[in-house]
Order: sequence, then structure tokens, then C-alpha cells
Amino acid sequence: MSQPSLAKFVIKRPWLKRWMTPLANWYVDAAGYRKLGLRADDLIPEESDTVLLALKRLPPKEAYDRVFRMRRAFQCSLSHQLLPKEEHTKVEEDVPYLTPIIEEIEAELKEREDLEAMVVNKKPSRT
Amino acid sequence: MYSRSSLRSGNKALRCLQCGQKRGLAAPASGSFAYQTGDAAGTKFASRDLSGPTTTLALVAKAGTRFQTLPGLTEGLQNFAFRNTEKRSALRVVRETELLGGELSAYHSRENLVIGAKFLRDDLPYFVELLSEVASQTKYQSHVYTEDIVPLIKLSQKKFLASTKAMALSSAHALAFHRGLGTPLYPSSSNAVSKYLNAETIEEYAQNAYSKSNFAIVANGAEHSEVTKWVGEFFKDFSTSGSGLSGEQSKYYGGEERIAHASGNTMVLAFSGSTSHTGSSYKPEIQVLASLLGGQSSIKWSPGFSLLSKAGASFPGATIDTKSVIYSDAGLLSVTIDGSAKDVASAAAEAVKTIKAIAGGSIAKEDIKKAIANAKFAELESGQNINTGIELTGAGLVHGGKAYQLDETAKEIDGVTEEKVKQAAKTLLEHKASISAVGDLYILPYATELGLNV
Repeated sequence: MSQPSLAKFVIKRPWLKRWMTPLANWYVDAAGYRKLGLRADDLIPEESDTVLLALKRLPPKEAYDRVFRMRRAFQCSLSHQLLPKEEHTKVEEDVPYLTPIIEEIEAELKEREDLEAMVVNKKPSRT
Repeated sequence: MYSRSSLRSGNKALRCLQCGQKRGLAAPASGSFAYQTGDAAGTKFASRDLSGPTTTLALVAKAGTRFQTLPGLTEGLQNFAFRNTEKRSALRVVRETELLGGELSAYHSRENLVIGAKFLRDDLPYFVELLSEVASQTKYQSHVYTEDIVPLIKLSQKKFLASTKAMALSSAHALAFHRGLGTPLYPSSSNAVSKYLNAETIEEYAQNAYSKSNFAIVANGAEHSEVTKWVGEFFKDFSTSGSGLSGEQSKYYGGEERIAHASGNTMVLAFSGSTSHTGSSYKPEIQVLASLLGGQSSIKWSPGFSLLSKAGASFPGATIDTKSVIYSDAGLLSVTIDGSAKDVASAAAEAVKTIKAIAGGSIAKEDIKKAIANAKFAELESGQNINTGIELTGAGLVHGGKAYQLDETAKEIDGVTEEKVKQAAKTLLEHKASISAVGDLYILPYATELGLNV
């Protein structure tokens, strides 16, 4: 399950985008996950079949890094500390690595549902 | 509810059926029996217009286990057929095919990989496009490989290891040809999956397997002009980066292998056989000899004329089957004996005695005549059978640019003499045999005990 997002709506309107970008940057920073070394996609709730399947489809290296980031964040959280500044997630590192896979799976599911609900019209015979 | 118009068109169809039956007595019953061949921008194809409402279409690629560069690649590629392509998903392919009432299949032999479809005549364009898409635009995704294909490969491996017959035949091939044709038809160890196979290696193999010079399209029950048109359209911009696959010339070695197995007993006695008609050393007498040895009765209520089925009558616990297995540049004459250990052991001894008797010349003229007739029938029948015919034709096109023509082979079999059969049996015994025993090794005999040369 990918997160609900207004991003597409905003990006289509340059004036709105210009207006929203500083606000968004402030919000993301204030959310604080970057200070624990996490990425935005690490926060997607795992409790759904779609996300579980997407996690299985991650390349081994990505999956390993994800677990590492989470353990580090737990450790920080338990000890009530933040990571040192140089270990914070950088803006360019905070890329969606899981969302594309989730979207792909959702597209598959949607296609299946569409096909299931399809009404077949027989085309007239060509002969 | 049926509308009036559909009822009317139904009537028309019925009338048409009747008019079809009113054909003159002298008119040919069906289209030509031989294949017409063609070439569309480098893609070879063959078709024959068998009368009937359905079409069988197949892409035959020279990519069987013989040509695979790593173990299991052919199996992997076969399972990647009809999966997600650039244009549509696997699910869509399946649903669309179901709606058209079609049937999709993919299988492989030692030399060929066949991707096929059966459908109603009208749907030819759809399926030609589908085959072209499968060959050139399949997405070799690693999650498809791990989620769908690995379990299938493991299943086929289990099935293979559970069958003593498959294991014995595969072991006989390995003894006879070592690499190339000796490669097992299904991955025999889990090495294939754990070490060699992944989506990338399969994709690389696909590039070569589906390069233009490496496959042919064969259609049964379609008009040649239609096939020409649609193959021309859908295979026009067809290109892969591969340059085709090639194997080494097969060489016959021979030897003996014994494998312990708890769930059955099989012995395979194999000898160097004949190549296919397009190959370098075609020996029709081997086919006649295979019919003469036989083992399976072709008629009811009698063991039949074949020598091994007569001999096998006293060993009811064993089934004997003799086959002349033919490849493009080599062949095997194999006697497969399967059943309870004791009966298999005695039947094997009997089989060797029979071959020696043929070589010695003590064989009735009558039996050889029957064997020739039987071999000719078997050959023509297998060629007429659409599935084997498709593979033979496709392979013929890819290997030699010539479709497999049954009539010539049948003529050659007709020309076999008694002398030639005896000579063939003699040469079998002079050369090394490939003996493989799978099952209860305490009872199954060694080749030297049978009096064979390995």
C-alpha cells in the first residue's frame, strides 16, 4: 500500500509547487526520520500482503540495507539519541526504493480485478 | 436469450456445413500433406493447410538441452514462455487466450524448444503476434524467476529423479554422447538452480535461442498465404542481440552406469543408432531393427510378431520397449526394460540373446517383412501426428533449411533388405554399448554378465 499523496496534483501547478516546496522541506525535516538515518520508504506500514510481497521482491542488497537502517533507528530510539549529523540521511539519498515495486504490484492487482469484471462482447465473425 | 439475427446466422452456418459435405468424389479430401516453406525477412516458416476448423502454430527453436550453455537453461527458458512481456502481462496473455478458446504450450526435447499454440482458424494473427512477442519482448524479471519459475524447475527435477525410466534413459544418453546430447533433459541436480540459473543468464540464453537463424515457425491447418502475410508483419522488425546457438558434432562413446534407486527397476541397453534423414548417416535398417525387436504389441489379444514381445511373454513383470531415437547428427537404438528386478534381469539377458540371434542370421524372412511394414507405418504415423510433425519440420528448417518430408523416409525404409538388418545387428554388437541400470543393483546384471561389450 503506497502512501496517499498530493504530489502529482501539486507538481502539475508550478505556482503551487514553488509555494509548497519550502513548506514540504520543512515538514520532512521536522518529521525527524532522516535524523535516525531512515528513508521515507522505510516508514511504509508492512502489515499488508502487497507490501510484504514487495519486500520479498527487493534485491538482496537493498533488503539488507533496509534492515540495517531500521536496527540503527531502533537503537537510537531506545537510547533516546539522534545520529551524529554526518550520518543523517541526505536529501539525495532519500529516494523511493520500495514505492515503484508496490505500484507495480498494485497495477497487477488492478489489472486482475479489471479482467475479472470485464464484460465480453463477441465480435462478429469475419467470414 | 438468443436474438433473431444470431439464430439466422446459425442457420447459415448449418447450411454451409452441408454444402461443405457436398464435395465431388474426385476432389482431394484435404490440403496438401507436405509442408510449404517460406522466408519472411530472415524468419523461416512452414505451413500446411490441413482441412479443419483449428490451427496448430509453433515456434521451434534450436535450443534444446543439447545446446544449453549452463545446466537448466532450456528448462528455465521454457518456463519463461508466455510470461510478462513489454506489451502485456502474463495474466493478460492467459485471459485473452482463454477468451479466444486457445491452448498454449511449451516443451522441450534434447534438440528443440517448442513454444506452441492451438486455436480457431480465424485467430491466426493474434497468435502469430503472441509468439513474436514471447520470443522478442519477454521481460526476464527476477521476481518472476524466483516466485514462479524456480518452483517449477524444482518440481520437474523431483519428477525426473523419481522416475527410474527417465533416469536410465538419461544415463544411457550421457554414456553414449557425454556432453551435448548426453545432457539430462531435466536438471538432475539442484546445482542448476543454486549455482547457474538466474533471470540474467536465462535472458542471455534467450537472446541466442530466439535469434533469427535459430528458430522457425510451423503452422498446421492454416493457409500458406495467410501465414506468409502475418509472419511477414509480426516478425518484420524482429531482432535480438544473440547470434544463435551451436553444439559440437556428436560422437558416440558408450559405457556402463549403475544407479541405486528404491522405487523401481529399469535397464536401458542402448547402441549407436541412426541420424535423422537430413543428417549425415541415415540408416533406415536401424528403424527396421527397432521394429523387429519391438516389445510392445501393436495389435489386440496377441504378443505380436516382434521378437522381444514374444520373449517377454515369459516375464510378465517386465515391460520391454525398443525405440530408435533419432537426432540431427546421431542416434540411439535403445531397449528399455522396466518392471520388477528379477524379470528385468532375465528379460535383459533374453534381449541380448535375441540381438545376437539376429546378427547370427537365424531370423524368419516373414518377421523382417512385418518389421519393415511396421517401421514404415510408425514413421508415417508419427510424422502425421501434428505435434511430432511440427517439431520435426521446425528442426529440419532450422538445421538444414529443408522441411522434413515423410515420403522420402518411408521410401528408404521400404528399400531395406534382410541382409542389411543382419549387418546392422552385427555392427551393434561389435561397437561399445551404453548400458544403464537403475534400481535394485543386487539383482540387475552387469553388462559383462549379459555378454555385451562396453
